[in-house]
Amino acid sequence: MATVEYQRIGKSFGALNIMRDISFKIEDHEFVVLLGPSGCGKTTLLRMTAGLETVSEGDLLIDGKRVNDVHPRDRSIAMVFQNYALYPTMKVYDNIAFSLEVAKVAPAEIKKRVEWAAATLNLTPYLDRYPKELSGGQRQRVAMGRAMVREAAVFLFDEPLSNLDAKLRAHMRTEIRQLHNRLKTTTIYVTHDQIEAMTMADKIVVMRAGKIEQIGTPDDVYDRPASKYVADFIGASAINFLQGTVVAADGAPAVETATGRVMIEDGSRAKVGQKVVVGVRPSDLVVDDAGTLAATAVLQERLGHDAQLFCDGPDGRFIAVVDKAARYPEGSTVRFAIAPSKVHVFDAQTEVRI
Amino acid sequence: MSVAQVKRIAISDSPWPWLAPLIALLIVFTIYPLIYNVWLSFHEFVPRKRTLAFVGFDNWVQLWNDTRFWGALGVTFLYFVIALTVELVLGMAVALLLDAELPGFGALRAILSMTLVIPPAIAGMMFLLMQDPQFGVLSYFLNQLGILDKSTPILATSSLALIGVLLAEIWQWTPFMVLIFMAGLRSLPTEPYEAAMIDGASSFQMFRRLTLPMMSKVIAVAILLRGIDLFRVFDYVFVMTSGGPGTSTYTLSLYAWQQTFSFLKWGYGATLSLTSLVIIMVLANLFIRVAKVRW
Repeated sequence: MATVEYQRIGKSFGALNIMRDISFKIEDHEFVVLLGPSGCGKTTLLRMTAGLETVSEGDLLIDGKRVNDVHPRDRSIAMVFQNYALYPTMKVYDNIAFSLEVAKVAPAEIKKRVEWAAATLNLTPYLDRYPKELSGGQRQRVAMGRAMVREAAVFLFDEPLSNLDAKLRAHMRTEIRQLHNRLKTTTIYVTHDQIEAMTMADKIVVMRAGKIEQIGTPDDVYDRPASKYVADFIGASAINFLQGTVVAADGAPAVETATGRVMIEDGSRAKVGQKVVVGVRPSDLVVDDAGTLAATAVLQERLGHDAQLFCDGPDGRFIAVVDKAARYPEGSTVRFAIAPSKVHVFDAQTEVRI
Repeated sequence: MSVAQVKRIAISDSPWPWLAPLIALLIVFTIYPLIYNVWLSFHEFVPRKRTLAFVGFDNWVQLWNDTRFWGALGVTFLYFVIALTVELVLGMAVALLLDAELPGFGALRAILSMTLVIPPAIAGMMFLLMQDPQFGVLSYFLNQLGILDKSTPILATSSLALIGVLLAEIWQWTPFMVLIFMAGLRSLPTEPYEAAMIDGASSFQMFRRLTLPMMSKVIAVAILLRGIDLFRVFDYVFVMTSGGPGTSTYTLSLYAWQQTFSFLKWGYGATLSLTSLVIIMVLANLFIRVAKVRW
């Protein structure tokens, strides 16, 4: 068990700097997800943690010890790779046992641990097979088994579910989280899938272009996104953004947009006259004939338990979650209301939350 | 054949019109010579009458009792085993070295393949001159280093001649192994090595547990290609020693060639070459069966 601490970490490839000033700490037992689009540096940060990439600047601490120049094998980490990186010429048993054999663990102990991992991951019937004789999900589990037997202090996952189909992905998501609940090993998990981040993480680190955009619990980043970027990235259906100016309406703060007036929270730091962008999640919109926002219905999309309504407004495409029983004919005007507490206000210039 | 007839054949489902050219080539250049060779091994050329006379199993009986044949077979095997072992080990070592991306290695890789451009007979001549006891550069340095006595000509000494010939063979063909192995190494995935690094494996463990098994198919192909070639070695011994001194470098191909073309014993020459073909086929098939990899 261990903590991982990044102190002003930077990374350059030659003259090209791709990461600068990354600082945060991962507590013991924590499940942290590094989230961001491809090219944001999340995998590089993970590989630096593993020792597969050198750290260009700053200090990397595992359990309080600086490990910048420590060989991967001596960092007490285990890693699950995106394409699993199984040893193709070894059977499942040997794949899992390899690190223990290398560490000269007693054969009886190796057998015990491999069998424990196999039983935990439902791999027992496959121990005698080669990786190419396994399905994607099984290979994924072998990769996890390989990490488990090492008794590492930190688990590193590099987009481990991205090669699986949607159903299996959802299944493995819960399995990985359950495994973590049982083993309680400090875990760093890289993904570009915000659903994985929301469902699995204790703490999400949202990254963008080599910098940290926000660190917080899943609820934090969803309910109080630090920037327009985070608000856009998190959430199953894309958030709506409306351009506007802060006004005082009957003493209460509001934002006047082309789509209509949006009331914002009383305590908001937004100043009257400030140019802002308001973010409104589709699920927070309520169809209300007295509502202040108006848009023209374009298409209704059934999602099963509810429906998504696509509208066109002066600010462009506008999405709302609506009751699936209700019908909004194409071309009809629909009015929406929203609770002030659900409105996210960002500065139009800096795109930072106000 | 009319145009209509040709058209009908071309659009028919029958595979034979398409296979015919290949089959014809095979019959003319492979199957007929093979059958003729078998037929020939039961006959012998009679120079006085300028005809081939049927001799039954005489050639085969002679082969069985021929000490020179067994000697030549022994030399061929020795040559085969030494050359293949050295070329494999050296080839893999050089390939692993050159696989590292160091400055100048690109040029080195290009230079390496140059030995393959030289005709083997010329390479043989080069090594013949280099080992000349009077003005050969190799002899000179070996003399200077005290490894070789000045009065000992390498290629004219029974115990050393085969090594002298093998030098040319290994010099010329190790780069071939290097190229094959390097291509193999280049195609290996990098991720298992990263995983092995984290798992704590040493370089040697990675080589033994990952590289070698992952390369096994490539190595098998290299052994097969080179092995078949080695078994019919002719040019180096022909140019450098003509099989001598004595019979110390006398290989099977050389013996078959000599019987056929020098002594005009066509039937016996055919018997010898057929034997060598059978040995190669048996060995190759055994090897393919043994070397089967499951993963």
